[in-house]
Amino acid sequence: MKYMVLMWIIVGSLWGGVIQNDDQFKTAIASMGTENKLVLMIYTTDDCPECAYMKTKVFHDKTVEPYMSQNFVVIEKNVHKSKLPDGYDFFGIPTMFFIDKAGNKKETMVGSKRAQSFVVELRRIRGMK
Amino acid sequence: MRALFLAIVLGMTLSAYDAAHLKKAMEEKECIGCDLRGANLSKSDFSGGDFHGSDLSGADLRESVFEMSDFNDCNLSKANAEGALFWKGTMMRCDLTHIHARKANFKGTHLEKSNLSFADFRGTKSWKANFTDAILFKTDFTDAELGDSKFIRNDLRSSKMKHTLLWQTHFSDTLLNKAQCTHAKKEEAILDANVTCR
Repeated sequence: MKYMVLMWIIVGSLWGGVIQNDDQFKTAIASMGTENKLVLMIYTTDDCPECAYMKTKVFHDKTVEPYMSQNFVVIEKNVHKSKLPDGYDFFGIPTMFFIDKAGNKKETMVGSKRAQSFVVELRRIRGMK
Repeated sequence: MRALFLAIVLGMTLSAYDAAHLKKAMEEKECIGCDLRGANLSKSDFSGGDFHGSDLSGADLRESVFEMSDFNDCNLSKANAEGALFWKGTMMRCDLTHIHARKANFKGTHLEKSNLSFADFRGTKSWKANFTDAILFKTDFTDAELGDSKFIRNDLRSSKMKHTLLWQTHFSDTLLNKAQCTHAKKEEAILDANVTCR
């Protein structure tokens, strides 16, 4: 019986959609090589102007883009189309999760931000232990 | 002394809500045509609620959640709605004069034909909100996010729009002052041929 429960937990952890098993996350981690970047996972929908604003304007702002590419790897999940990892529920769209290489969630940010305040937040999150 | 007493009594009468209506609103999230003047509805979840035709003037709505709630034809003048969420709700033909809505969220909210004169909308998140035919006399939109919102047949010339986010905001048949026009164009707002800048 004990063996059965243990097996169930192991299978559950493999199929339960934890972030470490997420294909996009794994690809992002692989792309970092030895660099110690963070994963920025953004939840979007097709009909979300704030998401479009973040992706087309803020992420490419001249004050944001260099810092982001140096310190973060972005992955996007459309909440209506993608399987979402366990432990990453959302209240509003866009929601941005900041995750370290080991799969630990460091910070969650809901809603859009102007470039200036966004880069300040990025620096704060990057500096978090 | 008599005048003071009269003023106090009059003030109490103006802000006194109907206790039965407040109980109904709190318990059922629905109170149509109710007297909720000055009532405390703060820090509560009223998602999907229906309050249409109610008098909520001077009510305390701070930090409450009204996602997809119906406030059509309501009086919300002088209400305190700071930090409240009105996502995808309807607030058409409302009296929103002097409402304190700083940092409230009006994402996708219908505000058509409402009166927002002297409303404090500073720092609001009002993405995709619809302000068609709304009265916006001296409305304060400082630091507000109005991306993808609609302004059709409005006169915004007296409104404050300092640091307002206007990315993909639609302006049609609307009056803007020159500074607002310059700001809107810089922010990549969409101004049609019927927009007047003067």
